[in-house]
Amino acid sequence: MRHVRDLSRRQFLVRAGGTAAAVPTLSAILDACSKPGASVSGSEAVQIARPDNPVTLPMTGEPIATDTPIEQGATIQILNWSVYMWKYVINQFVQQYADNGIKFSGISTFNNMDEGVQKLQSGKIQADVFFPTIDVLGKLVAADLLQPLNHDLIPALQQDNWAVFQNPYYDQGWRYSVPYTIYTTGIGYRRDQISDEQIHGMDNPWSILWDPANKGMVGVYPSDRDAMAIVLMKNGITDLNTSNDADLEKVRTDLLAMIDAVNPRIAYDASYNKLQNDKFWVTTAWSGDVVAGWGYAAPYTEAAYKGYGYWFPADRKGPIDNDLIAIPKNAAHPRLAHEFINFWISFRHAMDNFSWNGYQPPQTQADVNALTHTQGLYNKQSSSWAAPADYVAPWMPDAVVRESDFGIGYREGPLPPDVDDRWHQIWSEFTAGVGS
Amino acid sequence: MSVPSGAEPVRRGPRRSHRATDEGIHYSRWFWPSFTIPASIWLAILFILPLYTVISIAFGTVDPIFRGPLPVYEPWWWSGEQFGRVLGDSVSFYRIVYIHTFEYVVIASALCLVLAYAVAYYVARYGGKRKTILLALLIAPFFISYLMRMLAWINLLDTEGYINKILTFLHLVPHPIDWLSGRPSTVIMGLVYGYIPYMILPLYAFLDRIDINLLEAGRDLGAGPARTFFRVTLPLSRPGILAALVIVSLPMFGDYYTNNLLSGSPKTTMLGNLIDDALGSTGQGNKAAAFVLILMVLVLIPMLYYMRSTARSLLTR
Repeated sequence: MRHVRDLSRRQFLVRAGGTAAAVPTLSAILDACSKPGASVSGSEAVQIARPDNPVTLPMTGEPIATDTPIEQGATIQILNWSVYMWKYVINQFVQQYADNGIKFSGISTFNNMDEGVQKLQSGKIQADVFFPTIDVLGKLVAADLLQPLNHDLIPALQQDNWAVFQNPYYDQGWRYSVPYTIYTTGIGYRRDQISDEQIHGMDNPWSILWDPANKGMVGVYPSDRDAMAIVLMKNGITDLNTSNDADLEKVRTDLLAMIDAVNPRIAYDASYNKLQNDKFWVTTAWSGDVVAGWGYAAPYTEAAYKGYGYWFPADRKGPIDNDLIAIPKNAAHPRLAHEFINFWISFRHAMDNFSWNGYQPPQTQADVNALTHTQGLYNKQSSSWAAPADYVAPWMPDAVVRESDFGIGYREGPLPPDVDDRWHQIWSEFTAGVGS
Repeated sequence: MSVPSGAEPVRRGPRRSHRATDEGIHYSRWFWPSFTIPASIWLAILFILPLYTVISIAFGTVDPIFRGPLPVYEPWWWSGEQFGRVLGDSVSFYRIVYIHTFEYVVIASALCLVLAYAVAYYVARYGGKRKTILLALLIAPFFISYLMRMLAWINLLDTEGYINKILTFLHLVPHPIDWLSGRPSTVIMGLVYGYIPYMILPLYAFLDRIDINLLEAGRDLGAGPARTFFRVTLPLSRPGILAALVIVSLPMFGDYYTNNLLSGSPKTTMLGNLIDDALGSTGQGNKAAAFVLILMVLVLIPMLYYMRSTARSLLTR
């Protein structure tokens, strides 16, 4: 069989840009019609980072100089997941830099990382700050889409953020990224259907997602990695990036068994909307989604908040992760972007944002033991229309992430292409309802 | 060549050359065909080029870093590996999705036809002076986005929604039904509701054009109302039925958000969901394009039947 040759980097960028547009322009098509050139494999340039295999990303340029002036009259461009930043805090930043005439016109959003990368790659959005996940960080650097950070301009990282992020395994020396939010992947549940005692008393609480007693009321995120990580955890397999055939076969068997056992439903808002509104009784859940879920629990009374809970292993041996902030290579206002990052990961502003989006920042000044009985800014602001809430509901201590968790929990990392395809094949069989 | 006796020789008109005559006005031979130029350009840009791009992606490759789909526009570089794999999977484990999709579309289209025909018939025959108002009411759902209408159904079908309240109030069901727990019937209902306006309008257009004298002739010849309907109205509206079925069934085959919103269960996954899922997954863009092409071929079958049927009816006139 004839195989398509690998593409040169230039052709790859031209073609990728063409694909990013829903309807490619004629010039993009004509450009791409050029004969494929010499073989260059970009995937070889991407090192796969693991906690036991830390990666120092190559420098693709020099950071901006420390004395670079702040851009005047700039409109800060943000490319981020939707519902992930409190605009109030962004406006605080704009006010702080009012003398520089800084403006903010809105956040460009994406629904999944591929879409975010495409937007960045196509150059249609010239973002000043971008919020990547760990698994694409190395790829973004290999594609020369990020610029190195000037550490002098981001003192808040050392001042306010946990030590574990001063030299993270995925970006040794934090050359390109700073941490944004931290979270665990566990199980969200309705406490009127599943009591705290019941789930905590189970030998294997992960298996509650297969309990026929919850048939028709089980939710799963549309995220193959997170859903399959939970199946691995249920089977006691702690390598969340496994390529082992036997492990993957167990995942496949259990996922398909879930369809027959409980007829699960796949929903991105499983744990921050459907759980609170009694559409699901139990679901895969990111801790941040469940923490922010009170904002969806109409009529916003204390009783309504108390309706749902979050479980994560007491020994903290479960999936744990963090998201990042980085500066794209083509940022129009790189100095302003540094200021923004420094502002965003500083204690007060990070915690204000946390009070709104539910995703905890790794702040040294924040007493993790106090988060379940301390109100944040948004909690206070919302007291006029809702019952008082804390950063984290007192009955959800499992949702609080501790620095030590990063030495105990299990990380999802990038997968080699062939392994990734196998993972997706299993997920695809699940979503297609094979055997149902 | 001899002309059979008794048969009139075929009368041939003057051969059209550079100019044609139409009621004494002279037009260039390209005058009328030129009217199709804007639509042809439109189709070329917004259909043929994107379609070629989809084919180029299905038979293309992925970028070496992000594994996004890369179209390969030169056919001599195309690889059938991914397409072949999808085709193979389609007859093995994706088969259930094709069966579900076919079942849902056939049932929903049939329900649409039954419901829409009755409405269109009433408006066309008995609408009288209220035809305009009735038509406006029929078109009214178009003013609300499909997504919004589906979201409204989520609330209506909720265990505490109006549908369940009515059903339990009337004692038609002993306890609320959880319509949104991943039921095929809910997905079919959603498809019917979402697409029925597209069925009513073409049916109405055809039924309204049926010559009332033909119906009266049927009555005069002794046929009762039912016989007149089945022997006159229904056959005459057959082209309209086929057109309406094509109009609603083609988008139903590619629908994915009705299932996403009203079910979300793997048990009710449709072909459109497979495409959506592949598009949202790293390295699976080529797979999505392959599904799109397979879907296109599948929907071509009813389309070809419609074209053949239409051509036949034109020949018999």
